[in-house]
Amino acid sequence: MGGNGVEEPAVSWSFREGIFFSVALVAAGFVIEATVWGGQGVLRPSWPWNIIILLLLTVNIVIAGLILKDKPFVKWLGGIPLGLCLIIAMAILSFFGGVMPQGAGKGPLWAQNLGLNSVFSSWPFVLTVFFFLVNLGLSLVWKTVPFKSANLQFILFHGGFLVALACGLIGSEDFRRVIIPLYEGKVTQSAFDPVTKTTEDLPFSLYLHDFEMEEYDPRLMLYDIGGGGYELNEARTSGEITQGSVVSWGGLSVTVDKFLPNAVVEDGTGVPVPTDADRGIPYAFLEGEHEGTPFSGWVSTGSPFERPLELKVGGRVLSLWPGSPKKYRSKVTIKSDESGDVISEILEVNKPVSVEGWMLYQLDYDEKLGRWSELSVVEGVRDPWLPVVYIGFFMILAGNTLFFWKGIKKK
Amino acid sequence: MTWVEFQYAAAGAIVCWGIGSILSVFSAKQRSSKTLGTAFLMAGTAVMVFFLIAFWVTIDRPPLRTLGETRLWYATLIPIVGFLVEYRWKVSWLKYYCVALASFFLAINILFPDVYDKTLMPALQSVWFVPHVVVYLVGYVLLAASSAAAWHNLYRNKRSMNKEGHAVSHYLALLGFVFLTFGLVFGAIWAKEAWGHYWTWDPKETWALIAWLGYLGYMHANAAKVNENKLQWYLAMAFLVLLVSWFGVNYLPSAQSSVHVY
Ligand code: HEM
Repeated sequence: MGGNGVEEPAVSWSFREGIFFSVALVAAGFVIEATVWGGQGVLRPSWPWNIIILLLLTVNIVIAGLILKDKPFVKWLGGIPLGLCLIIAMAILSFFGGVMPQGAGKGPLWAQNLGLNSVFSSWPFVLTVFFFLVNLGLSLVWKTVPFKSANLQFILFHGGFLVALACGLIGSEDFRRVIIPLYEGKVTQSAFDPVTKTTEDLPFSLYLHDFEMEEYDPRLMLYDIGGGGYELNEARTSGEITQGSVVSWGGLSVTVDKFLPNAVVEDGTGVPVPTDADRGIPYAFLEGEHEGTPFSGWVSTGSPFERPLELKVGGRVLSLWPGSPKKYRSKVTIKSDESGDVISEILEVNKPVSVEGWMLYQLDYDEKLGRWSELSVVEGVRDPWLPVVYIGFFMILAGNTLFFWKGIKKK
Repeated sequence: MTWVEFQYAAAGAIVCWGIGSILSVFSAKQRSSKTLGTAFLMAGTAVMVFFLIAFWVTIDRPPLRTLGETRLWYATLIPIVGFLVEYRWKVSWLKYYCVALASFFLAINILFPDVYDKTLMPALQSVWFVPHVVVYLVGYVLLAASSAAAWHNLYRNKRSMNKEGHAVSHYLALLGFVFLTFGLVFGAIWAKEAWGHYWTWDPKETWALIAWLGYLGYMHANAAKVNENKLQWYLAMAFLVLLVSWFGVNYLPSAQSSVHVY
């Protein structure tokens, strides 16, 4: 780096113009927001208008880059000084977006009128991105024609960024996200669109066999009735227990004598016995000593259908909290309308499944019922531009790898 | 090893680094105390490396989940960058900044103790978790060192421009930027898998982008041959933006609805 002195561009057309232009551009964007547009954001074209606009832009940039490359103005438009000014402008706009709450109706009114509550679809931002694309596009044309392998890193970086940015933003109107609530033992075909607040039918149906959840070990907590709240244990852990765990608080030490991850108390006996995960809840038999007096007893987490067991020790209460969710998944059968194919799948967080152009994600469940939930909320996402955006990402990664080598070798 | 033992490990490391720095700085001419100083500096880092490994084994998952845990990594890795720079470029001053910064991170952890928690929520159980976080960690470490180098350069430049120092802050920034770029793209790919979209303008994402744009700006300012002293100022200050993106975000009004805050 720093060796960019191959062909000195028209330096006179440099930073001052770039700064002036960027400031004017952003200011113009804010004026449009505040007057004509009233904080409505930019209209985003959907298919096929977005691809048409993108192709027109590309053709124009390539032609301008090839034919007008000696014009000082075009040189400046595709040069580093303007690129740098635009990068800073985008950083500053993003700064607003990173500080002000984003979303419809959020933040003070003056900010809403300027579009500051939706910076990333506001005029100043879109204008800046537009010239980003022009700047990147022109410099790419010049670095690509004629092709030199020494420029590969530049091409991958800037080309990748251009592709990801252009396609990601201009394709955003084609991005769809719907919510599909599934109930155990029921077939569902309709999905809810939270943006348009409408319901629509999917090209496939989903049958939920089972919603399952694994939990971490439950937590043993000590609560001071005298107003001290929950007390932190001496080992500063979050309190997970298993068979044999010892947990200590100031002046109190408790041993987990028995631990039953899934147990149930049969009628009248008062003693929990192990059972399967569908019916049982965690129980623990605790032993300890408080001010010289031994104590012992059962505690349990309880469930939506069952009161928890607690143990009172002096002015404090020992209680068992259910562990946080470790994994949850939905066993579903998916039937395609068109082909009639039936497949069985498991939807799990971080493991989406692709069906008929939709990606299905395990999103949520009835949190009040936790692992007893019979509701599983699935999210469907359609993003036809994703493959192109990913091409951009992989170009950036490849360019980055080259940069890593070259940057180190230079000296 | 848990957060209870942490206090002793951290205090031990800080003391070692302190003694090592004093010995190395004030007795540069005596070889024996210089060696002893280096030994103490290394020992401080060895304590942290040992603690980190033992802690990882104890909690049974990579300790990369909470801010307190990531501070452990910074405190361990930043001095190592300082040592490597000395080895590679024969620049000895950077390591003092590095151990000072590391001690600062450890002090935060001592003053604001963490609770250790073995659980890992489902969204974090992904093959991308470790690469994404580790790549960012290394990036932050390099950029912290780059900023320290830039501050030192600014101080030295008052007397005379030192080319060698500029090269150090520049290469550290360049490497750090490479890692930031990897982190950003890995994060996007992971977000697609976990949350359905690669980019949602979540405050944490937005701030990661701002920090990345900041260093992107540096790369281009450098390519455009901006004056050296200005570039050092730029690098010195850019790290402040990075700090916001790393732990300042949680306190911003925009972060109230973030899925990313931890
Ligand atoms: C993906 C991140 C990016 C990286 C790593 C990067 C890196 C670089 C590097 C190293 C150079 C100097 C090339 C040389 O000396 O031959 C350069 C030049 C340039 N960059 Fe970037 N850049 C990136 C993104 C951008 C963006 C977003 C813009 C536009 C706003 C931009 C606009 C330019 C321009 C116009 C040049 C000058 C090209 C020329 O000399 O003809 N870059 N970039």
